[in-house]
Amino acid sequence: MLEIKDLHVSVGGKEILKGVNLSVPAGEVHAVMGPNGSGKSTLSYTLAGRDGYEVTSGSILYKGEDLSSLSPDMRAAKGFFLALQYPVEIPGVATLMFLKTALNSQRRARGEAELGAMKVMKFVREKAKALNITEEMLRRPLNVGFSGGEKKRLEILQMEIFEPSLAVLDETDSGLDIDAIKLVAEGVNAMRSDTRAMVVITHYQRLLDYIVPQRVHVLRAGKIEKSGGPELAKELEKQGYENISGAAA
Amino acid sequence: MTAQAFPILDPKTALFHDDYAANAADLPGAGLSWLQSRREAAIKAFARTGMPTRHVESWKYSDLSAALENDLEPATAFRAGVEVPAATEVGFSPVGATQITLVNGFLHLIGGAELSKFVDVVDLAQLSVRTPEWVEKHLGLHASAADQALGAASLALMRGGVAIRVRANTKEIPPLHLNFVNPSRGHGLMSHARVLLLLEEGASLDLVETHQGSGEYQLLANLGMEIVLHKNANLTHSRFQEEAGRTLHVTSIGAELSRDANYRALIANLGGRLSRLDMNIKLAEPGASATLRSVTALDGEAHADVTTVMDHAAPHTTSRELFKSVLVGRARSVSQGKVTVREGAVKSDSHQLFKALLLGPRAEADAKPELEIFADDVVCGHGTAIGALDADALFYLRSRGIPEWEARSMLVRAFLGDAIDGFVEGGILDALWQRIDRALDSIYGGAE
Repeated sequence: MLEIKDLHVSVGGKEILKGVNLSVPAGEVHAVMGPNGSGKSTLSYTLAGRDGYEVTSGSILYKGEDLSSLSPDMRAAKGFFLALQYPVEIPGVATLMFLKTALNSQRRARGEAELGAMKVMKFVREKAKALNITEEMLRRPLNVGFSGGEKKRLEILQMEIFEPSLAVLDETDSGLDIDAIKLVAEGVNAMRSDTRAMVVITHYQRLLDYIVPQRVHVLRAGKIEKSGGPELAKELEKQGYENISGAAA
Repeated sequence: MTAQAFPILDPKTALFHDDYAANAADLPGAGLSWLQSRREAAIKAFARTGMPTRHVESWKYSDLSAALENDLEPATAFRAGVEVPAATEVGFSPVGATQITLVNGFLHLIGGAELSKFVDVVDLAQLSVRTPEWVEKHLGLHASAADQALGAASLALMRGGVAIRVRANTKEIPPLHLNFVNPSRGHGLMSHARVLLLLEEGASLDLVETHQGSGEYQLLANLGMEIVLHKNANLTHSRFQEEAGRTLHVTSIGAELSRDANYRALIANLGGRLSRLDMNIKLAEPGASATLRSVTALDGEAHADVTTVMDHAAPHTTSRELFKSVLVGRARSVSQGKVTVREGAVKSDSHQLFKALLLGPRAEADAKPELEIFADDVVCGHGTAIGALDADALFYLRSRGIPEWEARSMLVRAFLGDAIDGFVEGGILDALWQRIDRALDSIYGGAE
């Protein structure tokens, strides 16, 4: 599903990613862990195609296709989804209207028929309920006045609505209490499927108690330093990033 | 009245002055002594400022004199049988409105819904001894002093316009649409017109004012507007300026609000080469309140200036002003808001907010709040924010599959929404968004 080869990325002329290699097959959930400043968010923004994240060498293949020339909206339409660490507050844009516009933009780009307002609302409401997202929240401006947990739940709701083939969750656990983490993890686990790949980016091992990954990768100083099974996360928790060493497995 | 009274005049000031010197005797109502003395006072008031340049403090950001051509001729009325260029795209006309169309400042026709019998309309090109007393009582007392130089000129050189009275306690009458059509006709023109709007005690009116232009020649459309709201009167005023690309548009409004009168205005600047709305509002008695919302959306070289003076002259008066601009290309907006709280005007409550989105590297917004407070126990707030579209918000929307042009459009609409929401609705709201989208079309690039 996702093949990253020797990826070098610069932001504002400064090289942040220095040769990342990562392969995530369909049906698997991988975790990328790393200390602050290791390049975790750069990796997620680069995958999403944000302006200013310049791929200087290497490649990102998604379903065998090179993503690097595609705009963020085209990547979304092709089934890529990024749950942001800091979802953006947008006053004046109602949440439900945003969800409808986004869903139909993706459908339009794929040549599918757009869905009517009633159909979208019904679809959204069903999924929102399970995430404890109220009607009142959906009527509010996008993310405005939402608590940290509400914002993250809305990210998960979007993932469920857009049904991506590849989802990257960037520090979705940050700022959440344990109940909120469980709720988010339930949403993510419900999305696991043979045809979907997910990358969970996190600083802490805690989230991985609830979303158990097939593989764990340690990102440090712009490179994948080590890879292993779920036990690697526990090891990191015990020993800290400083004491993990060794070539990528 | 001869040129000798003003020995040294720059050519732009002379344009008005010479017109007055040559034609004063032939202007409407020339034989009426009350009007003649007001016109005399007005041309003198204009001469004190002259044609505004940047050296006039309140015109610091808008150089009308430099933009004006030397050889504009006074516009004349269209004669019966001459085809008036249609206001093809009005769209802003409310359903069921009475439509008063003025062409180059001259009353042309009254159409649409029948005029309420509680509303009186007087053609200012036809002033005579038979003109009703209420016109004489009010015409030319506002928007005619040196602080509104172009307003003064519009009175001195007034060729046409309308006076409208809504009689006491008149409510729920059809909206009134003042439809200004401003074609330039084979050469550069200047028009000077006045509107007097009098709402007697307890009267309510929904007024829509549109300005549309056409033609390749320069046109100076100069309008002076007097708004008199008696006790408990209620005026909602929606104004849509979409002049042609070479037009210089100046409107000077002088409004006076009596006890518990309420004035709400939406000002949309969508066209013209240079436009200036010069608005003086006097909250003359307790309980008077004014709400202004200005929306400017411009591209190219267009320049729109909204300059207001909010005069809290009595206790317990309230004003709210919100100025919003979205600018593309080399467009420029100027928002100046002065709030004066006079001695004794306790419990005055005013707030001003200026916001601009600059969407072109050479777009410019100038915002200038100004407070003059001579009373205690008042609340006066203001804020200013000028910036670009939020890059985080733009990325967020795009990462959800929304194409860049649509994401930009959503953010622009979100930005302007709170200035527009609750003011206009239905077809007028749709028309306004359509004009805004069109004005900003170049930033939407791939928009279908």
